[in-house]
Amino acid sequence: MPEIIHVEHLRKIYRLGKVDVHALRGVNVSVQEGEFVSIVGPSGCGKSTLLYVIGGLTKPSSGIVSLDGEDLGQMNEAQRTQMRKRKIGFVFQRFNLLPTLTAYGNIALAAHIAGIKNGAHRSQLDSVVKMLGIEERLQHHPGELSGGEQQRVAIARAVVTRPKILLADEPTGNLDTENSELVLNMLHDLNQKFGQTILMITHNPEVAIYSDRIVNMRDGHVLEN
Amino acid sequence: MRPVRTLVSITAVAVEVILIIMVVGLTHGILQETARRTQGVGADIMVQPQTTSMFMGFSGAPMPVQIGEKLAQVAQVRAVAPVMVQMSSTSGITLIYGIVPESFDAVSGGFRYLEGHGLESPDDVLVDDIFARSQKVHVGQTLTLLNHPFHLAGIVEHGKGARIFVRIDTLQDLMGALGKTSVFFVKLASPDDTRSAIAAFEQLLPHYQIRNMQDYLSLMTEANVPGLTDFIHVMIALAISIGLLVIFITMYSTIVERTREIGILKSMGASKAYIVNIVLRETAFLTSVGVGSGIGMSYLVRRIVMHSFPTINVLITGDWMLRAGLIALVASMAGASYPAFRATRQDAIEALAYE
Repeated sequence: MPEIIHVEHLRKIYRLGKVDVHALRGVNVSVQEGEFVSIVGPSGCGKSTLLYVIGGLTKPSSGIVSLDGEDLGQMNEAQRTQMRKRKIGFVFQRFNLLPTLTAYGNIALAAHIAGIKNGAHRSQLDSVVKMLGIEERLQHHPGELSGGEQQRVAIARAVVTRPKILLADEPTGNLDTENSELVLNMLHDLNQKFGQTILMITHNPEVAIYSDRIVNMRDGHVLEN
Repeated sequence: MRPVRTLVSITAVAVEVILIIMVVGLTHGILQETARRTQGVGADIMVQPQTTSMFMGFSGAPMPVQIGEKLAQVAQVRAVAPVMVQMSSTSGITLIYGIVPESFDAVSGGFRYLEGHGLESPDDVLVDDIFARSQKVHVGQTLTLLNHPFHLAGIVEHGKGARIFVRIDTLQDLMGALGKTSVFFVKLASPDDTRSAIAAFEQLLPHYQIRNMQDYLSLMTEANVPGLTDFIHVMIALAISIGLLVIFITMYSTIVERTREIGILKSMGASKAYIVNIVLRETAFLTSVGVGSGIGMSYLVRRIVMHSFPTINVLITGDWMLRAGLIALVASMAGASYPAFRATRQDAIEALAYE
C-alpha cells in the first residue's frame, strides 16, 4: 500500500518567551494507506505536536512532512487549510462539538465547510451514523448527549467528508471504560470495513492495542515502531 | 448564547437609526412645516430687502410700509399685505406676524376662527389652534409676548404663516420700528400674471428681492440654512459612532468567548474567508433586527415628540429610512471587521486549548 504519511527528520521548536522548546527532535515515521497506527508516549513527549504538524495546524520548523504526496512544509496557511478541508478529519479528546448545533448540525457543518452540496453527503452520513449507532440522537445538542455519544458524533463529523486520514488525539481520554471500548471498536471498524487510514495518539498502551501498529515516542523522538 | 448582549447590540443599532431618522426628520419637518405655512398665506409673490434671510424673523423690519402702496398700483396686483416678522422666545422659538388685518385677509382669504374674533384692539393677539393646544391657552387669557401683555382675542386654524398674529402697528411700536415691515405678501389677480408682475416690481424696486412663492419654497432646504447640513452630518457621525463601537465590543467579546469554536472550525478546514463570513453574517443579522426596530421605534418617538410638542413637525421619509439602514449596516460591518480579522488570526492549536 502506498505511503500516505511520510515524516522525515521532523523538528518543531516553540518559542515561549525567551525560551525555545524543542517539541520534536528529528522524528521519522510513516503510515501506509489503510493502516491504523497508534503513537504512544507519556505526556509532553511531543505526540500531540506531531499530530498537529501532520494535520497542518502548525508548520514544521524543519524536516519533511508529506501527506498524500503533498509537502506540508512548502505550504502557506491557506494551503494547509485547504488540505485539511479535503484530506483530514480530526477527532479530539474533548470532542469539540459546537454547542449551539445539534449532532446532525455538527456533522453537516463539516460537509458544508468542505463544500459538499446539501444532500450529497447524505448517503455517507447515513452509513456512518448507522455504524456509529447515533441515528436516534441526531437532533440533540451536545449538552444532551453522553460522552460516548458526543465522541461518536465527533467521529461522524470527522469522516463524513471521506478524508484520506483520520487523526485522533486521545479519543478516549474523557471517556469511561465502556465508552472507550465502544469508540475504539468503532474506529477499528472504520478502518477494517471502510479502509479509513487512522493515526491515533494516546498515552495508554491498552488503547493502542486496537491499532495495527504502535509507534513509541519519548522526549520528541520516535523510539521504535 | 448571550441574550442580554444581543439585546444591547440590537438596541444600539436601533438607537443609531432613531437618531439619524429623528434628526433628519426634525430638520426636514420644521423646514417643510415652515414652507407649508408660508405657502398658506396665499400670496403669489414675496417682496423682501436684498440682503434678507429667507428665514423671516432673522432679518428684522427694514422696509418702509409705504412701498406697499407702490406695489398695489401695479396692474396685475389684487392685494398687498405688509407683514412684520418678529421672533419670540416665549414658549419655544416661534414667529410673530404683525399684520394689517384687512390687507392680510385680502391676500390670505381670511382666517378661519375656531374661537373668538379678530384683532380689534391694539393689544389683541390671535394664535393658531396648534399653538393654543401646546400652550393650553384659551380666548380671554393674557399672553405675554416680547415682555408685553396681550389679550388673546381669537384662536384660528393653523397654516397661514406664523402661529401668532398681532397688529403691525403694535409690533412696530414694541420693536422700535415704526412704519417698517419685513416682507410684502402680494396677491395677483391671476397667477398667470406672476412673471409680468415680477418684471414690473423689479423695475419699480430694483434693489429688492422679489420672488414668486414657488421659487421661495424651493429654497426651503437644509443646504440653504447655514450650518444645518454640518449639524446633520455631525449627528449622523455621532450615531454611527454609537453603533460602530457597540458592535465592535459585542463582536470582539463574542470572538473571545468563541475562541475554541474558531479553533474547531479551523481544524475542520474553515478558511479565513469562511470565518469572516460567519462573523459578518451574524453582525448583519443583528443589524437588520436593530434597523427594523429602529425604524419602528422612530415612528413611536415621532408620535411622542409631536404629542408633547405639537408645534414641532417630524418628517419621516422612506428615502431616509433606507439611508439610515444602510448607514447602520456599513457602520456595523466596520465595527465587526477588526473582530473578524482577529478571529482569522487565532492560532488553531491555542484556540482548541482555550477554556
